[in-house]
Amino acid sequence: MNGRGRTVRVARTAPDGRRYYEDFRVPLGPQTTILDALLYIHRHLDRTLAFRYACRQAMCGTCGVRVNGVERLACYTLLGAVPGRVVTVEPLRHLPVIRDLVVDFGPFFRAWAAIRPAFVPADNDGAEPARIRPDDPDRRVIDRHRECISCGLCYSACDVVGTRPGFPGPAALNHALCLVLDRRDGAGPDRLKPIDGPEGCWACHGLLACSNVCPKGLDPTGAIEDLKRLVAFGRRRNGVAV
Amino acid sequence: MRAVETLSADILILGGGGAGTLAALHASNRPGLKVVVAVKGLLGKSGCTRMVQGGYNAVLHPDDSIERHFLDTLRGGAFINDQELVWILVNRAPQMVAELENRYGCFFDRNPDGTIHQKPFGGQTFDRTVHRGDLTGIEIMERLRTALLARDSVLVLEEHRAVGLLRDRGQGRVCGAVLLNIRRGTFTVVQARATLLATGGGPTMYRMATPSREKSLDGIVLAYQAGALLMDMEMVQFHPTALVVPGSELNGAVLEEGLRGAGAHLLNSLGERFMARYDPDRMERSTRDIVSRACYLEITAGRGTPGGGVWLDISHLGRATVEALFPGMVERTRAAGFDLATGPVEVCPAAHFIMGGVVIDESCHTTIPGLYAAGEDAAGVQGANRLGGNGVAESTVFGALAGDVMAEEVVGTPRLEPDPHEVEAHIEAATGPLRRDAGEDVYGLLDRLRELMWAKVGVVRNRSGLEAALAELAELKERAARVKTQKAAPAFNLEWQQALNLRSLVAASELVAASALYRTESRGAHYREDFPDQDDENWLCNVTAVRAEGGLRLEKRPARLSRINPLVGERRQ
Ligand SMILES: Cc1cc2nc3c(=O)[nH]c(=O)nc-3n(C[C@H](O)[C@H](O)[C@H](O)COP(=O)(O)OP(=O)(O)OC[C@H]3O[C@@H](n4cnc5c(N)ncnc54)[C@H](O)[C@@H]3O)c2cc1C
Ligand code: SF4
Ligand code: SF4
Ligand code: FES
Repeated sequence: MNGRGRTVRVARTAPDGRRYYEDFRVPLGPQTTILDALLYIHRHLDRTLAFRYACRQAMCGTCGVRVNGVERLACYTLLGAVPGRVVTVEPLRHLPVIRDLVVDFGPFFRAWAAIRPAFVPADNDGAEPARIRPDDPDRRVIDRHRECISCGLCYSACDVVGTRPGFPGPAALNHALCLVLDRRDGAGPDRLKPIDGPEGCWACHGLLACSNVCPKGLDPTGAIEDLKRLVAFGRRRNGVAV
Repeated sequence: MRAVETLSADILILGGGGAGTLAALHASNRPGLKVVVAVKGLLGKSGCTRMVQGGYNAVLHPDDSIERHFLDTLRGGAFINDQELVWILVNRAPQMVAELENRYGCFFDRNPDGTIHQKPFGGQTFDRTVHRGDLTGIEIMERLRTALLARDSVLVLEEHRAVGLLRDRGQGRVCGAVLLNIRRGTFTVVQARATLLATGGGPTMYRMATPSREKSLDGIVLAYQAGALLMDMEMVQFHPTALVVPGSELNGAVLEEGLRGAGAHLLNSLGERFMARYDPDRMERSTRDIVSRACYLEITAGRGTPGGGVWLDISHLGRATVEALFPGMVERTRAAGFDLATGPVEVCPAAHFIMGGVVIDESCHTTIPGLYAAGEDAAGVQGANRLGGNGVAESTVFGALAGDVMAEEVVGTPRLEPDPHEVEAHIEAATGPLRRDAGEDVYGLLDRLRELMWAKVGVVRNRSGLEAALAELAELKERAARVKTQKAAPAFNLEWQQALNLRSLVAASELVAASALYRTESRGAHYREDFPDQDDENWLCNVTAVRAEGGLRLEKRPARLSRINPLVGERRQ
């Protein structure tokens, strides 16, 4: 390390559950990520620091935190690229904190459960995978929304999640669209029921906070727009509501 | 004494990757069984199935054949694979691809005509690798996790790591495990009629290692300690081109093989395309083991980069081309502050997968009644070297098989009581680091272990190095038993987790080093510079390892050549 460093302010949990912030000085290299900074603090400055990670390469979606108020994957955010004098690292919002930066994803996945996220085979156990061409219009829509790593960054960024407890959240609705358009899925209109209604897709005000933070470049806002058209007009053709 | 919670289940599954989730899905197809899944990380998010980029080998095309996949796998494994297990793999992989698609909703890339697209992967005579872009693992694990969470009869315990297997006092049958609840720092004893090891191996005891960070060969070590037979522990696969990111956790992230296929050059610090010395015909397109060895020898000969690797350069194809062909890889290097599209990046071989592990039969039984194993924890499917694309096939096929078998076999199996002394002993051992007021530092020891394994039990091995390594490992083991960690914050105590990882990795490293010393030839991923040739006359066999009275006992066991014998070329299918 070349003597350069940055101050990282970390949200901590006291033994009595109270929350406070603590500053640490972390050396800054050209490749230092937020995750590296946390590992450095843990190893060299405070062994009690708690945070979560697994794949360290933007695949598992377990290392989400807020960096200067913006949701990011710790493993894929360079410390040097974060603007400002102090880099503040906090846990994701709308989720109970287990300790320090570790949250309980329970509410996030229970919200998923509301849209019945599991695939329901339409054709029970066909022996062959379905023949679907890559240029199939439904599939092209699904492809744009598919690579979600369920990291919960969008859930944390969404204000509606915080104010409407029944709202499934951007990731769940994004996933719902993929299922609704998947012609191999047999849940059909049943799946649209929980999505309709004031606590479903209509609660979203479409201000893009979710799409702005998605580390996979997905657009849950767009998916929710499509869902609104689907529930409003019922039928769809070629991937768009008609 | 700490509060201990107890639970009882019909089936206990340790691990939430491909093998663990499929085992749970299959076991819970049978109504009335209580299934508990304990996962060290989060379900479907921890582990390496999640990280699969390349894809999944399965015979789908009419011009391909089961026999070809079978032979490719045996050739890759240098013929010490268990042929019956390989036969199961190649026969069931196509059904499993269909199951992933039709039952859980995975969707793999398609050909223009709507059939599943299959791409080439190293060591295969047919393009048979099914994939979803270069993020196949996410597609599979997101669907499996969602499917499993919808099953009411399955209890998922996330961030619960197994720290010891339990046997009953009478028959020595495995009847559950002690789990450490990482979130709270407390223990849970699960009593079960069948227990599956699906913790996904994970040789992370090397300076450079690709697997997800929480894996530490736990399942294999738990099985060894409980007295199960292991084999092929010397067989550790190195991926030749992992990214070198000094001082960062991104160190060891895989850069895919397709880069070499597309014309990337490997250069040493003198700017030489050194593959000319090791495989002049195929150059960079040579096989994983040869490229790994070449890189390793260049680095140890002092012709490495400042970060201790070699250069991988594909920028001569032009920035636009590289960005178009390898968007994921370009993004990965940029995230680390480099740029694959415009210049060379540092790469180095990294420990990737362990072919060895727990010996199983065709129904995933280990040698201890009540204990089953599947996926990377099990040995035999991959032989001396794994082909790209056979790992996720193994974990899904055998995970499902284990789930079916356990569901079948627990019916009528008595519920046995774990031995309370054993429970106590496991908790005692696991909490050691919290009880000491002074002791060794876990990170210092982990660093030492990783350097030692890299230098002496790595890509290139020899007798004196292995002997020295065993001596050092004995010392490290003692010191690892004296580690002290913080206890002020018991919930989510990462330092304590590292101490337990260290304990497991040191134990596994001894098995790897001892087996590597024992096998006096070179085969597959195991390369001895003092015995550089493959010796079929003496070593067409597995090296088994078992815990015995005086310590570790190693033995030769003839490879299971039940269908084809490479020495006579005869075929008995
Ligand atoms: C970067 C990378 C890329 C790969 N690419 C490919 C590829 O393209 N094609 C291919 O075929 N193979 C690939 N592999 C190999 C493949 O990932 C593995 O062969 C396979 O996924 C192993 O599956 P598994 O279920 O046995 O283990 P994993 O999927 O690793 O799951 C192990 C699970 O066990 C849990 N666990 C660990 N210890 C404990 C414990 N003590 N108690 C409870 N739970 C525990 C872990 O948290 C995890 O949930 C790749 C591997 C890596 C690392
Ligand atoms: S666009 Fe909708 S879902 Fe997304 S953050 Fe805004 S309100 Fe939430
Ligand atoms: S939509 Fe994006 S931000 Fe939201 S959970 Fe999925 S990957 Fe994460
Ligand atoms: S550690 Fe897996 S996404 Fe960051």
